[in-house]
Amino acid sequence: MSRVVIHDRGDSVGVAVEDVRAGDDVEVVYIVDKSVVGKVRALENIPLGHKIALKDIKTGDRVIKYGRPIGVATRDIRAGEHVHTHNLKSIRWGGLTRR
Amino acid sequence: MVGKYPTIKAYIRPDGSVGVRNYVVVIPVDDLSNTAALGVAKLIRGVVAIPHPYGRLQFGKDLDLLFHILSGTGANPNVYGAIVIGIEENWANRVADGIAKTGKPVYVFPIEGNGDLRTIEAAARKAKELVQEASEVQRTEVDLTNMMFSIKCGESDTTSGLASNPATGYAVDKLVDLGNTVMFGETSELTGAEDIVAGKIKDEKLRDNFWRIYQEYVGFIESQGVDLLGSQPTEGNIKGGLSTIEEKALGNIQKLGTKPITCVADYLDPVPRGAGLCFVNTSSAAAEAVTLFAAKGSVLHLFTTGQGNVVGHPIIPVIKISANPKTVRSMSEHIDVDVSDLLELKVSLAEAGERIFNYALRVMNGRLTAAEVLQHDEFSPIKLYISA
Repeated sequence: MSRVVIHDRGDSVGVAVEDVRAGDDVEVVYIVDKSVVGKVRALENIPLGHKIALKDIKTGDRVIKYGRPIGVATRDIRAGEHVHTHNLKSIRWGGLTRR
Repeated sequence: MVGKYPTIKAYIRPDGSVGVRNYVVVIPVDDLSNTAALGVAKLIRGVVAIPHPYGRLQFGKDLDLLFHILSGTGANPNVYGAIVIGIEENWANRVADGIAKTGKPVYVFPIEGNGDLRTIEAAARKAKELVQEASEVQRTEVDLTNMMFSIKCGESDTTSGLASNPATGYAVDKLVDLGNTVMFGETSELTGAEDIVAGKIKDEKLRDNFWRIYQEYVGFIESQGVDLLGSQPTEGNIKGGLSTIEEKALGNIQKLGTKPITCVADYLDPVPRGAGLCFVNTSSAAAEAVTLFAAKGSVLHLFTTGQGNVVGHPIIPVIKISANPKTVRSMSEHIDVDVSDLLELKVSLAEAGERIFNYALRVMNGRLTAAEVLQHDEFSPIKLYISA
């Protein structure tokens, strides 16, 4: 079974540590103690190093990794979807073009 | 001398500092002097010329920073002795004076009134003497303490924050515990994790200084009102899965390890030996940061990469560490330490960290890094603003 890892138990995204294919059932592993803390089915291909949503995330919700916000969702994201620049933007520098 | 510390075989300089390489360098003060500096290096085996594009009509803090970097590079413990070539004698002397403070040999050759050819001949004759002297200096056994190191990541991806950075942090903890200085920087790239970094600074004055430096740097970036996507994070970061500056910063700081930050240095501040974990104000560009760390005395740099940054430096070994199995395969000639098995959850953080630490010991003892063998000699002084 493919694996994604999380840095913190509160993370809403996991990182693929191998290439994950759409339809794969994926184990979610907590990096600190290597325990399996959940499962998710990938809805899209997730390349190695890219993020997968571990739960449904609504537009405007903060996306959590390392137990900290890494940005906000710019559209609704379903569990299993690829999370990247197309649906996640920086809170800190995300609005710099529109001043 | 040999006691509770691991020992290495290294070069002890007149000021008591310890280097892991033994170079004779030719430092041009300005762009116009690059040709003469390269001419000397062409004639004399074992001389390293360090060309760069600046040094004319700079002024104020920007000029001070260039002098700081040029003098600091010559003063670096990895350097046995230096030749300084400048179009004008006065500025060349200022650079040389900064080097001479360490007690090592340094000689100045001005071009004006002499021309390139006479300058090259005179400088080459002196360089020949220095190289022959340097060739007789032996490595001696010294404790791994009171030395200066630096860390930075480049072309990072999520594998950096997951594996190569925390494993490097393990090695950093060991170096700090042994009483060494470990410098880190990348001021803008702390954005999203800057409060965590500040929290590691227990001394209130140092913490205030960190906040002042951070806010000035990031304030300038934000004042430009441009979207930094593609610059910070870079295209490579994004390709590797990093989406935002916050995500990149949280991965970046994993390499700081667990020790408190006991030293904060702005561009022109000297960094002492045995200072522990030290924040240095730098840009996040690989060559600029490594160049500044080396100028402040780092003798060896630990560099983690995800997508495959290839940076090196003319006088300090840069050890490339990666946890991305694709990069380790596709760019194998650049990677010194492969920790992809940590990403694949096959080894512990301590095992991967020990691997990095032990590799660093080998490089301190003389093993050449990939970047050294591949002639990655990037030297990029930070320029703060326009010249006059």
